[in-house]
Order: sequence, then structure tokens, then C-alpha cells
Amino acid sequence: MLRYLTLRAVSLALTLWVASVIIFVVMEVVPGDPAALMLGINAREDTLAALRAQMGLDRPVLVRYGDWVLGLLQGDFGVSYTYRVPVSELILDRIWISLPLTIYALILSTVIAFPVGIAAAIGRGGPTDWGIMGVTQLGIAVPNFWFAMILVFVFAVTLGWFGAGGFPGWEEPLAAIWSLTLPAFALALPQASILARVMRSALLETLDEDYIRTARAKGLAPWGVLWRHALRNALIPVLTIIGLQFSFLLAGAIIIENVFFLPGLGRLVFQGITQRDLIVVQSTVMLLVFAVIVVTFLIDIAYALVDPRLRK
Amino acid sequence: MRLSLWLGGTLTLATVLVALVGFVWTPHDAEALNIANRLKAPGGEFLFGTDHFGRDILSMIMVGARTSLAVALAAVGIGMGLGVPLGLWAAARQGGLLDEVIMRSNDLVFAFPSLLIAIMLAALAGPSVMNAIIAIGVFNIPVFARLTRGAALSLWQREFILAARAAGKGAARISFEHILPNLMNLLIVQGTIQFSVGILVEAALSYVGIGAQPPTPSWGRMLAEAQTMVSFAPHLALFPGFAIILSVLGLNLLGDGLRDWLDPKTVRR
Amino acid sequence: MSICIEGLNLRIGAAPILQDVSFTVAPGEVFGLIGESGSGKSMTALATMGLLPNGAQTSGAIRFEGENLLALPERRRRALRGARLSMIFQEPMTALNPLRSIGDQVAETVSLHSRASAFEAQTRAKEVLDRVGLGRFSLDTFPHQLSGGQRQRVMIAMAVALKPALLIADEPTTALDVTTQARILALLQELVAEEGMSLLLITHDLAVVSGLAANVAIMEKGRVVEAGPTADVFQSQTHPYTQRLFAASTHQPERHRVVGEASVLHAADVRRSYTLPRKTLFAKPGRIEAVKGVSFTLREGEVLGLVGESGSGKSTLARALLGLEPVDSGSLTLRNTPIAQTMSRADRRRIGVVFQDPYGSFNPRHTVARLITEPFHLLDTPPSTAEKADRVAQALTDVGLSPDDASKYIHQFSGGQRQRIAIARALMVRPEVLLLDEAVSALDVSIRAQILDLLADLTGRFALSTLFISHDLTVVRSIADRVLVMRDGEVVEQGETETVFTDPNHPYTRELIAAAPVLRVNGGPPARR
Repeated sequence: MLRYLTLRAVSLALTLWVASVIIFVVMEVVPGDPAALMLGINAREDTLAALRAQMGLDRPVLVRYGDWVLGLLQGDFGVSYTYRVPVSELILDRIWISLPLTIYALILSTVIAFPVGIAAAIGRGGPTDWGIMGVTQLGIAVPNFWFAMILVFVFAVTLGWFGAGGFPGWEEPLAAIWSLTLPAFALALPQASILARVMRSALLETLDEDYIRTARAKGLAPWGVLWRHALRNALIPVLTIIGLQFSFLLAGAIIIENVFFLPGLGRLVFQGITQRDLIVVQSTVMLLVFAVIVVTFLIDIAYALVDPRLRK
Repeated sequence: MRLSLWLGGTLTLATVLVALVGFVWTPHDAEALNIANRLKAPGGEFLFGTDHFGRDILSMIMVGARTSLAVALAAVGIGMGLGVPLGLWAAARQGGLLDEVIMRSNDLVFAFPSLLIAIMLAALAGPSVMNAIIAIGVFNIPVFARLTRGAALSLWQREFILAARAAGKGAARISFEHILPNLMNLLIVQGTIQFSVGILVEAALSYVGIGAQPPTPSWGRMLAEAQTMVSFAPHLALFPGFAIILSVLGLNLLGDGLRDWLDPKTVRR
Repeated sequence: MSICIEGLNLRIGAAPILQDVSFTVAPGEVFGLIGESGSGKSMTALATMGLLPNGAQTSGAIRFEGENLLALPERRRRALRGARLSMIFQEPMTALNPLRSIGDQVAETVSLHSRASAFEAQTRAKEVLDRVGLGRFSLDTFPHQLSGGQRQRVMIAMAVALKPALLIADEPTTALDVTTQARILALLQELVAEEGMSLLLITHDLAVVSGLAANVAIMEKGRVVEAGPTADVFQSQTHPYTQRLFAASTHQPERHRVVGEASVLHAADVRRSYTLPRKTLFAKPGRIEAVKGVSFTLREGEVLGLVGESGSGKSTLARALLGLEPVDSGSLTLRNTPIAQTMSRADRRRIGVVFQDPYGSFNPRHTVARLITEPFHLLDTPPSTAEKADRVAQALTDVGLSPDDASKYIHQFSGGQRQRIAIARALMVRPEVLLLDEAVSALDVSIRAQILDLLADLTGRFALSTLFISHDLTVVRSIADRVLVMRDGEVVEQGETETVFTDPNHPYTRELIAAAPVLRVNGGPPARR
């Protein structure tokens, strides 16, 4: 197990490193001078040069890359060109919306998908199965941000159960969670549809295995077969999809923040693009990639816990 | 389920037809501003109503279909065009350095959801339809590469490949003569699915403003413009949403139907 | 009596699977149920266990401990399954849950049917695992850490943990090596004697039953065609199908031996090893020697048998002989031309090959004509279209198929026909050497006899020198002029077939021959299959 996880960790660390190089290079190619952007077009040449020196832009590329990575490792993400405050502060303010929203949606998606997928597999070919397959097929086709708009229209505007948007802050935990509920549902339902279908087909595939016949030959009842032998084995493909969903949900969260006027990473990064505040874009993208890779690693650990063949 | 195939085929065909007809005829000029007709409810002259500039929603949807289909199709093209050869190559050199490099690069791309690629491209060159195509296409490459490699690896274990090798055929020739044809069904099915994913992602990118830019018509941007007006003009959001849902649903059903019909079980692991 | 099947009929959908199947297994006896694939023998077992697929309709009766099983509600049948009636299956590699330890899986049977505490169940599991000879493995062992034979022992432990009245074993040793098979059969026999349980042994192999079962039933196409005490059935063979089955099992293909002295294929001290995956990140990767110094000569017109169990290195050797894999040292030569991955197409065409799997050997998307002409790739000037068609027609006729088959696809053919097509493909470019890699191992015994006849005929007609690789001693004995016995990558014995079989020198050869089940008719001297 240790060997497997070490190998995975090394491989993921390498991925992270290459990702940082790619992000840095892309941002390096971007036309335009950050110093000029900060000071405006009428700035004097010597002021520009002074600012460039102060921002370290006059140093060689490799040195700047090294500084950036070392900074990242210490939590120093540089200083925003437009806000003139450390990027880490900007991100820290906002990540406490985007990340909880993603995790909330992931939990919802899993909690909805498992029973639904299992019910479909048990009723294979029957009306329950048909109904679930139809609804999930539709669920996959719904764009989450559109669904969010409809939810706002129905539950916030018409019924008035939720505020139409905004975030009260974590000082009021219940209100905070309540305000994330509609966005989390909007994110979760399409993903839950996918996950339920994966759960169903993984379970059906497992139920065809020889060892299921062995379990039945022992005298286990259908529920016993399902619970003790099929579910855990079907979990392996399901875990893969949950891992992938994290990155989709994170991307989705950034998009859906728009609908609910949530001051999360999405707003920060899109403003960064329009204002050409590249250091913000660069650091946020790096952070998101880091989150995806960490989750990939967590999923690898989960594999090892489920599958003894990886635990050597 | 034959039903999937028929329903999916019909919906997909309808989407394509709508996009094609949009080139030669729309009920109204999709770009003509007409404040007198602003925010008309659906029905009558404007079947799906009009937006805040008085533009006809139906015409905009018909023209927007082009963008969605073109972006998704091009992205599948990029994904298949690069992913399939890479997957075949990796499988032919299984366990070798090349295989390792290809698969690790795939892991790398998987760490960048299309949105992040699009964000970086938008920062680099400004938002555009091309960004959306590249962002979705690049993410499609590992999808196809992995699928191809996995299925090809199990084919390489089969004895008919050994027989072809015993007949002196090289890896490249075997890949194209024996492996690829046996993967075709699988690729067609996955292609349909990635096509539908492409439509969804394009809509999302255009919605947040890093995909199609004005004046290029796009379903995602229609939704972005509709957002502030949903409370008093829900039709602005409903119809473009339905367009996305029906086209994606159609492709997904088609993919499912094709899977059952073509039965690529022979190579699925 | 232990179990009594009376007039059992079974249909799935519209297709009749079993018709009027009747036989009785007495307490404490071993009963052999014999048949080829599709005869309905496994379905009879599943009907007895109550594990039939959905949509199966049964009539008749299966009487067990005073009740008709077919009439019992599912709940009652479940209570019997695993406790009074249990079953082991053919594929030990897939029959155990890979995610749960063997201790868990055995203990589950115990706790399911008794009020035993978790500890008691584990204790019982340990006892039975000890009894089936797995005492050195802890209860926490997982299936992937065990070999096929060991996994089959776990299955047996699971099945006998509650001392059932009847154990059904469906081809329990078919997937195993011959020496492992002998040990598993011995274990089953011991358990039957110790526990006084009955054993319903289902097999395609007459020889497996002949030394073990007191009574047998022979099935064909869903019916029992002949049944009775083993000795009587084997001796009288009243039903024509029984006669055919015996004839095929003891079949001796006729060959015109024209063995020359010249060496066609020669291996000299061939070695081949593989790199194992690294154990830890920085350790040197280990190596496994698959072939360690093998030397042999295949003479003109000869059939040389190569016998070995799984892991003996025979497959590695076969791939090297085809020039598909390199060798580390030593040399392989085909009439003085070295065999290597880089050999020319002209040299490659001098060896033809037939593989084991009649289903995996063909690209399902090509027509038979295209499949069997693939070796034309090896010719410098491929024949013209007209000549090609002629040669396809000729080749198909040679292997007993019709020229019309050329335009068909492979899924339209049975397993035996596919092996014929494989032979046609191998002979298309008139090779000097034919390599048969387990070419008849996947076939039913009657089909196998036909293919062996065909091979005997063709090798004579085309003056082929043949290397016949097989794990099946009796088949090799029936067709080979000389044999090589391989074990762990080494040739432990080689010589004239009859000499090796009647007077083996090496202890391993003796063990192999002793382990191979022998078909005895009338308790007399073992008949040669």
C-alpha cells in the first residue's frame, strides 16, 4: 500500500510541477506589460522602469519562475496589479465560498446518486429502472447554470424561500449554508444523474460476476448479496467518476457563482481576465489545479482502501 | 433500447436541420434591433418572443445552433484526431517510455478542466470562439487517448494479433488494419457523447463571457443576457435552455442507442 | 437417498434446455454426470441448487431430504443452499470475491446458516481451511495472493464448512493443471469418505470420472442418454452417443510416419527472462527466467510433442520460435536460418501457427477469405485475384470446409470449424514447420478427435514438420513421435513417445503421468485415449 501511494504521490507531484511550468509559460507569453497596466498609459518611462524593478519583472525568466514557485510553497501568491493587495488575501477571502460550494455539491450528488443508482440496478429492466434512466438522461442534458437560473426563478423569486443571491458570510453558518443550498443543488443534480447511471451499470456488471453466483450458492439472500458482495466491488468505477466530478464541480462552481452573485473565485478570476490582472489569474488557476490533484490523490487512497490488490 | 436510437437520431437530426436552415432562412433577422418589439411574450408573430432589444428569440436560437454545433464538432475532431493516434501508439508500445509519457501527459490534462484552459487562453489572447474550441478540444484528447489505449491493449492480447504478427506485419499496419476497425464502434459512441459535452461546455464558456463574443450568436450568451430579466421575462432563459437540453439529450440518446445497436462489447473491457 | 431428480424439464424462453432428466445420487456416493458443452449438465446442477437464470421454467421434481426442491419457496431453498447442498464451480480465478479475505468468505457460510458468533465462525473457517490443505495461509489472505488450485481449495472449504449432504462440483478441475487436478480430485474423494456426503461430479472428461464415480449418467442435448454403474456403462456402451464419446476419447489418429533424419528446427541452449515490476521505488527490478537453456531438434516430417503445465515456459518458447520475441542467449534456427524478430518475410513464411482460442484467433470484421490470406503478406509477389480465389477454395477444401465459406464471417462458425479455418490460414503459404500451440485444447472431445485426424492427414500430405505444444498428455501421446517435457523453463526429459510414457526417467515426468486421469473400461488395463 505504501509503495502504491508513494508511486502515486511522486507521479502527482510531478504532474503538479509540470502544470506550474505550463501555467507560468502561458502567462509569460501574454502580451502587455503589467507595470504599464498598473500605471496607465500616461505613465513616464522612468516610473515604469522603477515599478518593473520593484515587481521583479526585470529579472531573468527562470529566477521569476523560481520565486513564484517558492512563493506559492510559502503561501505568497504575489501582489495583485489592480487591487494592490497580496493575491493570497484575495483568494483567501473567496475560496471559502467556492470550495465549500464544490464539496457541498459533491456530497449532494453522491447522496442522491447512490440510492437512485442502486434502485435502478435492482429493478433492472422494470418500470423503476426505465423511469430513473429517463430522468437521469434528461438530468445530464441540463446545463447547471441554466438550471440555477430556473431554481432562482422558482424558489427565490416566485416562492421566496431563498434570497436571490449574495452570501451572508460564515459568521452565520446556517444562513451561509442556506445561501449555498440552491447553487449546490443546481450543480449537483446533473452530476448526480451521471453518477447514478455509473452506479447502476457498475452494479449490474458486478452482479454478473462469478463470485456473485458463489455468494448465492452459499445461501445469501438478494439483499445480502448486494450489500456484502456487490456494492463494495461496484465502488471502484464509481470512485473514478467521483474523482473526475470534483474538477467538473469546481469549474461549475466558478461559473454558477455568477447566477447567485456569490463573491467566490469565479468573480475574482473573470475580473482578473478583463482587468488583465494576470498574477491573480495565474495564481487562481494554479490553486485550482492543485485542488484537483489533491482530490485525485485522495481518490487513489480510497482505491487502496477498497481494493486489497493495491495494498501490497 | 431501440427507442433511444430513434428518439436520439430524430432530435439530433432536428438540431442539425435547424442549424442548416438558419443559414438560408430565419423567421426574422436575428441581429436586427427593434425597440418597438422589445420583450414580446411568446406567440403570434414571434413564436418564442423577443429580447430586450426586440430581437426574435427563435431566429437567434436557429443562428446560435451553428456556434454550438461547430464548436462541439471541431472539439471532437481535435480530440479524436490527436487522441486516437496517441492511444494506438501508446498501446503498440505498451509499457515503454512513450506509453508512459503519453499516459502521464493525459493525467496532466485531466488536472485542467476545459474551463481552466479557456480561462488561460482568454487571458492570453482575449476571449473568442477559437478559445472555446481549443479548450474543449484539448480536454477531449486524453478522453479519446485513454479509451483507445485501454481497448487497444486488450485487443493486442488477442490471438488474431499474434497471428498477424506471425504474418510479419508491423505495429503500425496492425494498428490500422486490425485494431482501429475493431475500435470504431466504441469511438463513434464516445464521439457522440463528447459532442454533447462540447455543446454544454461551449454554452457555459459563452455564458461567463470567455467563449463566443458578440456579434457571434450563441445559446450560452443568450442565457447570460437573459439572467437579469428572468423574473419578468422567463421566456428569454427558457427557450435557449430548451435548445441546449434537447440537442444534448438527442446526442446522448443517440450515443446510448448506438452503443446497444453496434454492441462494442467485443472490445469493451 | 441423497437426491433424486425425476423427469426434470427446463426451458428458458422458448428453448428447451433439459428434457426428462432423471437420476439418483445415493448418500455417500460419487456420481459422475458426463457430457460435452451444451449437453445441459451444468443447467441440471444449477436447477438443483436453485440458481437458474431468470426466465427459466422447470417441471418435474428434485427430491432432497423428503421434499421437492422445485416446489419449495425461495426462502426455504436459501436455507438449504450452502448448508445442506453446496456447489463449486469451474473457474477458481473468478469465483471468489477479490475484495474480501478468504477467512471472511468461508466464515460467511458458517455465520449465515448457524447462530455461531463471529469468533466461532472464524474458528470453523480456520478448521476447514486447514482441512483442505491451506493451513499455512492466514484467514486474512486475499484471493489474488493464491494460485488457481489454492483458490479452488478455498471454494471447497466454503462448500463443505457446514458438512452438506450433497456437494455439486461443476468441472472443478478443468481450469487447472494436471498435477493440481489430481490433488483436488484426491481431496474431494477424501472429504466424501470422511464426511459421508454425496458428490455430484460434473465433467466432460470420461477419464476423470472413471477412477472416481460409482455411478454415471451421460448427457447429450439436454437428455440423459445412458446411466448406470460406471463399470457397466463404460463396458457395454449401449447408446450410440456413448459409443461415439468413448471412440473419440480413446481416439488414435492414423498417421503415415515419414520421419527423415535432417533437422528442420533447432534450438540450442535458448534462454529468455523478463523484468518484473519493481518491488520498491528504488530497488533493482527482479527478473524471472521463463526459459532456461532449452535445446531440441525437430526433424523432417516429425511430430514433436512439447508437454508442460502453466508457467513451464512453453508459450514463451512458442513466441520466440515465431520470431515474435527475442531470446537472451542461445540460438533458434530453421534449416540453418536464424530465427529472430528481424527475420525476413521469406523466412517467416516457413513457419505456420495455430493458436488455442478458436474465438480470439480471428479479426471478427474480416471475411474468411481475407482472414486466411493474411499470410500472403509474407510473399514477395502476392498472387493475382483469380489465383487467390483458387487458393482460398483449395485451402478450405483441404481442411474439410466448403469454398462457399470464403465470404462468411467468423461468428458464423462453430469452435471446431474455426480451428479448421485457423489451420487453413497456417498452411496458406505452404510452411515447412507447423506450430500448434494448444490447438485442440479448447475443443470438445468429439471435435478434438476430428481435428486431430485432420492434422494427421495434412502433416502427411504436405510433409510438414510439426511442433505440438499441449498441456494434455494423452493428446500428445496419441499424435507425437517424440516428446519433450518442460518444467519451470527447462526440458526435464525428451525421447520417443512410447519410451517416455512407459518408462519415464525424470521424477516430474512420472508425477505428470501418474496425475493424468486414465480412462479405464471394465477395470482392465487403462485404455489409451
